Amino acid sequence: MTFLSGQPPMVRNLTLLLLAGLFLLPTVVTSPSMLQIIILIIFYAYLTSSWNFVGGFAGVLPLGHSAFVGIGAYTSTLLYLTWGVSPWIGMLVGGLLASLVGLIIGLPTLKLRGAYFALATIAVGEGLRVLVENVEKVGPFEVRGPKGLLINLVEDAPLSAFQFQSKVPYYYIILVMLLAVLYLTHRMMNSKVGYYLAAGGEEPEAAEALGIKVSRYKLIAMAISCFLTAIGGSFYAQMFLYIYPKSIMGLELSYEIAFIALIGGRGTILGPVIGALLLRPVSDLTRIYLSSALPGLHLVIFGLVLIVVMRYQPKGLIVPLRHLFNRHIIPFLSRKNGKSDPVAPQKSE
Amino acid sequence: MLGFIESLLNGILMGSIYGLTAVGLTLIFGVMKVINFAHGSILMVGMYAAYWCVKLTGMNPYLTLLIVVPFLFCFGYALQRYVIKPIFDAEKDVREPITVIIVTTGIWYVLDNLAMIFFGAEYRVVQTSVTGKMIEFHEMYFSVAKLIGGGITLLCGVYLFWFLKHSRTGKAIRATSLDREAATLMGVNQSQIYNIAFGLGSACCGVAACVLIPFYYVYPTVGVPFDIKAFVIVVLGGLGSIPGAILGGIIIGIIETVGAQFMAATWTELLVYGFFLLVLFVKPSGLFGLRQDY
Amino acid sequence: MALLTVENVTKKFSGLTAVNAVNLTVDEGQIVGVIGPNGAGKTTLFNCIAGALAPSSGSIRFSGHEIAGKKPYEICQLGITRTFQVVKPFATKTVLYNTMVGAFATTNHLKEAEEKAIQVLEFLGLHKKKNVFAKSLTLPERKRLELARALATEPKLLLLDEVMAGLRPGEVTEMLPTIRKINQAGVTIVIVEHIMQAIMNLSEKIYVINFGKKIAEGEPLAVVSDPEVIKAYLGDEYVATQH
Repeated sequence: MTFLSGQPPMVRNLTLLLLAGLFLLPTVVTSPSMLQIIILIIFYAYLTSSWNFVGGFAGVLPLGHSAFVGIGAYTSTLLYLTWGVSPWIGMLVGGLLASLVGLIIGLPTLKLRGAYFALATIAVGEGLRVLVENVEKVGPFEVRGPKGLLINLVEDAPLSAFQFQSKVPYYYIILVMLLAVLYLTHRMMNSKVGYYLAAGGEEPEAAEALGIKVSRYKLIAMAISCFLTAIGGSFYAQMFLYIYPKSIMGLELSYEIAFIALIGGRGTILGPVIGALLLRPVSDLTRIYLSSALPGLHLVIFGLVLIVVMRYQPKGLIVPLRHLFNRHIIPFLSRKNGKSDPVAPQKSE
Repeated sequence: MLGFIESLLNGILMGSIYGLTAVGLTLIFGVMKVINFAHGSILMVGMYAAYWCVKLTGMNPYLTLLIVVPFLFCFGYALQRYVIKPIFDAEKDVREPITVIIVTTGIWYVLDNLAMIFFGAEYRVVQTSVTGKMIEFHEMYFSVAKLIGGGITLLCGVYLFWFLKHSRTGKAIRATSLDREAATLMGVNQSQIYNIAFGLGSACCGVAACVLIPFYYVYPTVGVPFDIKAFVIVVLGGLGSIPGAILGGIIIGIIETVGAQFMAATWTELLVYGFFLLVLFVKPSGLFGLRQDY
Repeated sequence: MALLTVENVTKKFSGLTAVNAVNLTVDEGQIVGVIGPNGAGKTTLFNCIAGALAPSSGSIRFSGHEIAGKKPYEICQLGITRTFQVVKPFATKTVLYNTMVGAFATTNHLKEAEEKAIQVLEFLGLHKKKNVFAKSLTLPERKRLELARALATEPKLLLLDEVMAGLRPGEVTEMLPTIRKINQAGVTIVIVEHIMQAIMNLSEKIYVINFGKKIAEGEPLAVVSDPEVIKAYLGDEYVATQH
């Protein structure tokens, strides 16, 4: 793991400690409902990190990404319910299908002004949702429109059925998925694709003059993002065993994913994760405690937080957080350990 | 055949209302190069304002124009001046003011959900002197409210076009949309123009809002379908083109109502989306698009 | 065979003919200058070669391949890289990052790109600043970075668009040996320029453009005393004073 070796020892140790803690978490947190909340936080972190490939690195604003969550969920579920295909395989099929749809949208729109892309994603997102809501049956597949799809919980299901009685396996699966995406993000940032995307985002004319076909790389980012997002959708389907269009293909989910990434810090590795960590609990808490009196308050809060963050920290909250971490926490911890030299940050902002 | 003409004409009427909303959006885009995602929410605010005016005072819905339009102008003006401007200024030199677009999305969220909190999710409708009245013309039936609505919005669209072409402020607006820097050098106060443009765009929503009250339901997310249609129209007509927006609106209106003759209402929604994607694929710069901009 | 052949290239913009049947050849290893009064069409011609614009008619051949109308990234991949008059560094990235973006044109690997980039930066004297953010550089340094980035793509032909623009006379004099050094390393250069000192010092051959047409071609001293050229820059009255 090259990125760990490049960090000062204090950061390295903290990261390893954190990872160990994450993997041991289910031994400490035994309440299933608490675990589910944590699983959902990690799930959203996964979704926003996948969104990040396009929204962060390609520099455009996808506002309809829930469509891909839906494609993933519906594909793996329909394949399972109709033909008994293992959701593990269905997941991959869904991912590929989502990539294809993403490429079709991206091809005409990624070489135009960002606004066109944003609008196109909304149109496709809503369009797909309306389509699924209005369709009862497509060929051999019973889509059941707005009623949604139900997967039956099978006793002693085989591993291929991607179903577990306890929440714990789900926790590990989504944790691994998140870590994999984060690693993939890091690898991408430090590769030709990453450099080219950054160049194309900042100065597209200069990038083109340096041999970069900017739209091609944006499409690559789009394909990766859609694939990963769809897999997340399949995970959701297998975890909750019930999906319906408004829940996984709605505009609300698309916006939530985008907002979390934006508030946390798009275009960085940890930004979306921070966003999910900060905002999901806020969303859950306001929904639980205030929802009866003031429905939708958590969404108002989301919107306000977004506006305020964009005003003062347009690059996301990760910037001041990272600053805090590097300037204060690390030296503080170093001093506690008896090391006298303040550790300077290795990576550039 | 008659049914076809009836729906065609109804489509034009409704399309004119969509068109005026889109005109507001395209105006804001033309001047600030920002897609105002909160446009539908501003329409919603206008609709609630008009609704309450009529409900509380029983006034003629078309009189609300005198109240709601200036109110929305000020609302839009204030929104731009106090919320959007600081962020816009920070992104002045960036090619694409993405952060501003993000903020308008946030405003959309806040407004829609505040409306949900304050007014509840129920669909409201208000009884006015024109609600439900129909007019017959050669065995075709038209809603009076839609006729008046279509007429008013069309007139406003034309007036706005005239205003931009001939008035001093209008010319300043057009200058800013063509070349920001050159306009500033000519003495145009950019900030002021942005505020006015946003105000005007919102005022367009105001007109549409008042005109919709007699026959359309009011609910917190009513802005969303109008918003999306406005986006489609604006792309269809060409970002920044006002005649394009009016024409585009009419086309979408026709597609909707004529489509409804052949399929269920929800499918016409899909038709509009599909059409939008088609336009994007074929001619993204739209019917009257300004020069190809990347 | 010449490295670059511009043959009868015309570029019209609905009514305005910016470039009118211009012919130009560049041999391998040369430094060729293109000058002309403001609005003469030099930049338009430049952009036609670089792929930013497509010529209305005519042919542009590079090493025998037709490149007229190709996109900028294709042209770079074929071996022609250009710089911009108003420099466009990737401001939020470091000097090294900027240069590596160029280096990736010839490799897919991070390590290799980094090595190549560092080599280029050393060649141009910027390696001490490799971890500085581009937005913190001075103008001459940014121009140097623009050159480094372009050089990292390992071009056969380098197109310089008013690379001296905005530099003070002292800075111009400092830039000259750098450009010569690049040429000596084997890169053919076409330089569009206003600043006579630079052009005279660097070019082996100069083309003069006025009103879209080529009005003179030849060695610097010959071109500068050409009456047509004097007329174009200074007007009729000054022609006689040459004798």
